[in-house]
Amino acid sequence: MHGNQSADFSENGEEEIIRQLCANGICMKTTEVEAKLDEGNIQEAESSLREGLSLNFEEARALLGKLEYQRGNLEGALRVFEGIDLQAAIQRLQVPVPPEKPATKKNRPREPQQSVSQHAASLVLEAIYLKAKSLQILGRITEAARECKSVLDSVEKIFQQGIPDAQVDSKLQETVSHAVELLPALWKESGDYQEAISAYRRALLSQWNLDNDSCARIQKDFAVFLLHSGVEASPPSLGSQIEGSYIPRNNLEEAILLLLILLKKFNLGKAKWDPSVIEHLTFALSLCSQTSVLAKQLEEVMPGVFSRVERWNNLALSYSAAGQSSAAVNLLRKSLHKHEQPDDLVALLLAAKLCSEEPSLAADGAGYAHRAINNAQGMDEHLKGVGLRMLGLCLGKQAKLPTSDFERSRLQSESLKALDGAIAFEHNNPDLIFELGVQYAEQRNLKAASRYAKEFIDATGGSVLKGWRFLSLVLSAQQRFSEAEVVIDAALDETAKWDQGPLLRIKAKLKISQSNPTEAVETYRYLLALVQAQRKSFGPLRTLSQMEEDKVNEFEVWHGLAYLYSSLAHWNDVEVCLKKAGELKQYSASMLHTEGRMWEGRKEFKAALAAFLDGLLLEESSVPCKVAVGALLSERGKDHQPTLPVARSLLSDALRIDPTNRKAWYYLGMVHKHDGRIADATDCFQAASMLEESDPIESFSTIL
Amino acid sequence: MSDSSSIHDSPPSPAINVGDSETTVANDSDSNAKCQTAIQSLSSIVTTTDIPSSISLLLDDDSVSAAISTLLLRPDSGSGDNNLCRWLYDTFQSSEQSLQLLVLRFVPMIAGLYLSRVPLRQPQAGFEAVLLALYAHETTSRAGQALTVNIPDLSHPSIYHESKGPTKNNSTCLNIAVISSTLDPHGTVRSTRRARIVGVALELYCSKISRMPRESKLNFCESCEKWAGQNGETEQSRAVIPTLSDDSWREEENVAMGGRSERDSGRIPLPWELLHPILRILGHCLLGKKDTEVSEAANKACQSLYLRSLHDINPKAILATGSLLRLREMALDPKNQVDHTDISNDAVLSV
Repeated sequence: MHGNQSADFSENGEEEIIRQLCANGICMKTTEVEAKLDEGNIQEAESSLREGLSLNFEEARALLGKLEYQRGNLEGALRVFEGIDLQAAIQRLQVPVPPEKPATKKNRPREPQQSVSQHAASLVLEAIYLKAKSLQILGRITEAARECKSVLDSVEKIFQQGIPDAQVDSKLQETVSHAVELLPALWKESGDYQEAISAYRRALLSQWNLDNDSCARIQKDFAVFLLHSGVEASPPSLGSQIEGSYIPRNNLEEAILLLLILLKKFNLGKAKWDPSVIEHLTFALSLCSQTSVLAKQLEEVMPGVFSRVERWNNLALSYSAAGQSSAAVNLLRKSLHKHEQPDDLVALLLAAKLCSEEPSLAADGAGYAHRAINNAQGMDEHLKGVGLRMLGLCLGKQAKLPTSDFERSRLQSESLKALDGAIAFEHNNPDLIFELGVQYAEQRNLKAASRYAKEFIDATGGSVLKGWRFLSLVLSAQQRFSEAEVVIDAALDETAKWDQGPLLRIKAKLKISQSNPTEAVETYRYLLALVQAQRKSFGPLRTLSQMEEDKVNEFEVWHGLAYLYSSLAHWNDVEVCLKKAGELKQYSASMLHTEGRMWEGRKEFKAALAAFLDGLLLEESSVPCKVAVGALLSERGKDHQPTLPVARSLLSDALRIDPTNRKAWYYLGMVHKHDGRIADATDCFQAASMLEESDPIESFSTIL
Repeated sequence: MSDSSSIHDSPPSPAINVGDSETTVANDSDSNAKCQTAIQSLSSIVTTTDIPSSISLLLDDDSVSAAISTLLLRPDSGSGDNNLCRWLYDTFQSSEQSLQLLVLRFVPMIAGLYLSRVPLRQPQAGFEAVLLALYAHETTSRAGQALTVNIPDLSHPSIYHESKGPTKNNSTCLNIAVISSTLDPHGTVRSTRRARIVGVALELYCSKISRMPRESKLNFCESCEKWAGQNGETEQSRAVIPTLSDDSWREEENVAMGGRSERDSGRIPLPWELLHPILRILGHCLLGKKDTEVSEAANKACQSLYLRSLHDINPKAILATGSLLRLREMALDPKNQVDHTDISNDAVLSV
């Protein structure tokens, strides 16, 4: 490397640079000395320097060594340096320790002799440093590390009391900074990781008066080392700790701390921006699932570093990974604006995915998905399948919004078409298989749904809880309750105790459907015990992998029990359970619905109506409450004709929201019947009976 | 390349040896006996090559590793009555550190084969026993506790920086991140816990990664590529898939699936509990020790996982794999290979 550089100098020298050796105001050309060195005559070279530049022995040697080093003649440099007794020189430079050793650096006495010895020290230290560098380049890493370490040890010995800032010789400082930076790198290269860690800490925790850029480089190198070396560093020693200051406990913490400090330095303009720092931080914080912290850092980065689209997109990724979807969608809207980068595939797909989770955004999502599909060309063609999949999900979600029957069925069939198209690209993507299954189930194509559900369980090896749940729901919709129970039992076998909640809930409902209330109560009782134990024994640190998606809470269990007792007409038990549920969650439309059922069962229609209406006031779109009010009014409509139109509009409204609600169809049929529209009534009853044969025990939409 | 391999071939650095001897010195003869037993029983399983007589040689012995790998690659290697699995299990249970390292060396391969073979419904009790032993080991050594990280807040001073912010309420407003949740004991591999158990085995592997031979890391990178599945790397080979709307294509598909190579059918679900240790290990392979071959392989694995995370639209994985790939690119950029510790190349040299 060095040889090449010096060769470059002479070759492309339009105006040839004459390299010189200067000291004491005299200069001489390097060529004279080099000629002697090339003959292997170190002594002569040395003496010509001593005479020509009036230097002493050590100075001449040091200069020669440097010359050899620069020429890339490392073996030669080592020979020259070995001629100097560096250790002896250091010994001579050491000032005898004053007896009253000052405790702090602040009130040290300023001794003039130190600045005198600085020049000599600088000479010797540079010589040792260059020796270390030569050894490093020659591949003798451990020796190099020892030499380099001796530079730092010597500095500490020679300048025990520090040097006043203003008086530091710039050359000396340069050598020290270099050595501080080189030492950990050498230990790392030699494979001695513990030494490397202490060298890094020594560099960063002692006062070396480093300039900001080299300090930043060392901090970054250490952070990278902590993140990726695979060696766990012991926490910093007590000596370096200041009271009340934050002390990292492990590698990740220390690395993140250093990277955050670096970013702050960049933001304050104290060090030159290094793009790798933000990437390292991105990696570290994503590993910790703390991308909201990353988002904050990205927002604080000075303008001009990233293009705004780049920043928005990275922010969107960070926010969406942190679960802040709406912030992410808003950012993506900006970056996908037609004046920015409307064709960015990753942004389009992410936007489509986030929109597919929210019915009101699903139409926008479908738009993004379409754009993604159109842009997935050439190298990116493999992402076409992803685009289609997102389109299918968005359209399926959009179909959930209250709309006309025609529009709904159009959206549903287009959704299926898109998902089917996606599977041609990604035939072995289990997620897609699952989504396709759910979409079929929602449209009551139960045969296809169960095929996909089984395929999903096979493809994932039964490792995903929702696969089991989905299959059992499909079977329950096919009225194959005992098979559904077999599936749930199999799933329970494959599940650890704490994850069993959602399965047990389904099991209880299956028992009810099989008219086996005692076992249902038993299952609920077990579920309740599980949920309560979970609440007590789980600290905040327990995150359950698959439970997060569908946590069964205690309220749900009490409410489920209340519902169960209400179907058994055990009204007193219902009341007890409702009271328990009410303690956990005061306002809930579904609970008011069950309460209404209780009053209804006790023939207290006014109270029942009040409860249902309260439920509707609480949640405007609560279908069960709408249907219940409609049912009540239609029953009473036999005698009081005027209530029938109200019932009819409520039931139609419920069907607009949930067209597969068989009770709504049934009571709408009753309304038509009371009003004398027999043909309409027949249609409604037919719909109700068809739906009854395909009604799952829990809505399919709870699963996706 | 010869440079980097010499790092691996050289004996472990002194600092590491010190740690070893400290733990083994107490029951030296006992551990020697254990090692000898392990070596002897291995020699009855691996017959194609000579087994070195000491454990430290065995860990770095390429021919033995290759022989064991060949045995592992057999289609029935994971079954409950498999000798090799039994040996791996027994050897790990010996609680002898160097023997455990020897078993950990094969974790990438075992995990890779195991997870990819799950959909094939083969009996894999042998692999499961080994993985459960690793899981149990980690559960005990952690006492089942979660691993957490406090995300520092710069408004508090730290050992590396000063701050004028409030110092009184320190440590209260730190963000606590769980990087590995609490561990419950498991006696069998329940399918919904499979990813977690393998993930914890990989966490254990990751904690010892600095002592793993390069072949093992290369195996790991291969496994990652297989797990990621094909997400557009070799588009040509599967671009022709008939359009649907009739069911006939599905049958063709099933036929094709039966004949698919293991590489193609290796795609597995990648929940975070699995992806997290994978990314940590890949980070080490890519940016840890300088080893061209390993970092090349890690780079390929990382690209596959990046594509996979795009297909899954998994933002956290996109961020992590994307940053690794960009870091790799930066590291290769000659612009960033300036040696800041070199002295300035002045034309004028002075004292």
